[in-house]
Amino acid sequence: MVTKLSHTSFFVTDQEKAYDFYVNKLGFKVHTDVKMDNGMRWLTLNPPEQPDLEIVLIDGSGDVSGMGWDAETQQALKVLLEKGAMGAGVLHTPDCRATYEELKAKGVHFKSEPKEQFYGTECIVTDGCGNWFSMTQPKEM
Amino acid sequence: MNLTTDIYQRIAAAKVYIDDNYHEPIDLERISQQAFLSRFHFHRLFRQVYRRTPHQYLTRKRLDKAKDLLAGNKPINEVCIEIGFESIGSFSVLFKKEIGFAPQYYRDMEYKKKMEQSAQPKKAIPHCFIENYKLDEKRIH
Repeated sequence: MVTKLSHTSFFVTDQEKAYDFYVNKLGFKVHTDVKMDNGMRWLTLNPPEQPDLEIVLIDGSGDVSGMGWDAETQQALKVLLEKGAMGAGVLHTPDCRATYEELKAKGVHFKSEPKEQFYGTECIVTDGCGNWFSMTQPKEM
Repeated sequence: MNLTTDIYQRIAAAKVYIDDNYHEPIDLERISQQAFLSRFHFHRLFRQVYRRTPHQYLTRKRLDKAKDLLAGNKPINEVCIEIGFESIGSFSVLFKKEIGFAPQYYRDMEYKKKMEQSAQPKKAIPHCFIENYKLDEKRIH
């Protein structure tokens, strides 16, 4: 029986820029930030109200050959990240319109403004590092 | 009650003001001025949007920042000043009440954890990541 997700990875074009987005703008908490023997920075974050989920921010822009990937795979990842094509998931917020205005004031980019959907209010936010998310305020049942 | 985009922008601007100025002696008067609303009106709207009062949000912001600084092994008196508290006594009492540990204990605990992670980073990483991302191997540049 599988019960929950404890770790997941986001590939990003720039770890430092991603740190600023997820920690300083969205308010995620740093769980682990250490340098490995091979020079790779192991950086994991927790969403504000999910201390048991670690998101691994992996630098996918540079040399990821250390991860055992061939050149073609590395290039494919780089292209997807540079296009901002990686859709990483859905972020929940208690008030989509307020969070949209707040993040916009902090310089965050959006692909779409808040819109009413049958499941709630939703806009599309980008992390500026290759990924986009739905930011959703679920409809109250 | 549905709020207009203009009101959302004003409330969000005030929240960003708190985020940027939590270390200053800011009060409801100054915060509500950022939204161009009366104190009463602002307090009611902020609470409606964020489900907590401006004071509760400011306090949480300061304590979160205190946790970060303490985890970096900063002396308690410096942390106290940096987050906008005037008295170490009132900071310590509030920190223990909200976080569950005295600041000194929290600092020692977090700093120890950080040092252990730096000394043995692999202990913080699931083995599957170490193996698949080849975190054990030196990179060839």
